[in-house]
Amino acid sequence: MTMNWFYFASPSTFYRLAGRMAPAFFALAAVLGIAGVYVGLVQAPTDAQQGEVYRIMFIHVPAAWMSMWIYFIMACYGGVSLVFNTRLAAMMARALAPTGAMFTFVALWTGSFWGRPTWGAYWVWDARLTSELVLLFLYFGFIALANAFEEPRRGDRAAALLALIGLVNLPIIYFSVKWWNTLHQGSSVSFKGTSMHVMMLASMLLMALSFWMYSIGASLVRVRSIIVERESRTHWVRGLAA
Amino acid sequence: MRTAQFYLWMSYGVTALALVAELLALRWRRSRAMKRVEEERDLEAQD
Repeated sequence: MTMNWFYFASPSTFYRLAGRMAPAFFALAAVLGIAGVYVGLVQAPTDAQQGEVYRIMFIHVPAAWMSMWIYFIMACYGGVSLVFNTRLAAMMARALAPTGAMFTFVALWTGSFWGRPTWGAYWVWDARLTSELVLLFLYFGFIALANAFEEPRRGDRAAALLALIGLVNLPIIYFSVKWWNTLHQGSSVSFKGTSMHVMMLASMLLMALSFWMYSIGASLVRVRSIIVERESRTHWVRGLAA
Repeated sequence: MRTAQFYLWMSYGVTALALVAELLALRWRRSRAMKRVEEERDLEAQD
């Protein structure tokens, strides 16, 4: 059996598909999030060195992962829209940017509230923190550039180019703790394994999955609005508002 | 000296607020887009 992917690349088809899928992703995000918060705040043991404050990690680390992952997916959609000139890919890139910016803000905010009791400062110009701040500015730049043109397709192309150039920041963020002598600690979780308590790891992974499901749900809802805005003169969109 | 609860609340609370704010923004954008389509359709019907 073969699947015609171009069928789903049509905004009208994808609009209906996204409408059916988004509630399921939000429901999954809620269930996983509640489980993650419960395990993180109730089940996970108190850290021997940091005490209770370490529990901020259960949202800080997944938010930081999502900030980078969403940027990567956004840049991929931007690249696809540039190479194949597909409308839906550009719309998806636009739909992902605000959620990515929100998770970047959450990562920076929660990081500073962990840093104050642990390092003694809300903010230091450390390589990891600074490169994550640059990521937030890249998201803001993408959103501003995409909306700076009267012709939306020109905005799509300019923003996609910025997203692709900004990709260089992702390895800088990831490897900053190895390349430079930073205050920020190295990775606690990797493909090689982890030294964390099983409950700590469970909470972190549950929260990461929850944020992932939320991001998919939010971007699907947002892309539906973008489709309606862009296709407002078509018969099928006029029919929706009837 | 602030307690651990302060830092935890400021982190979890602001994250929850950020999520709620985004959900409200999504809802607002959706209703604005649909309203605009209705207005355009009504204007064309008047013409």
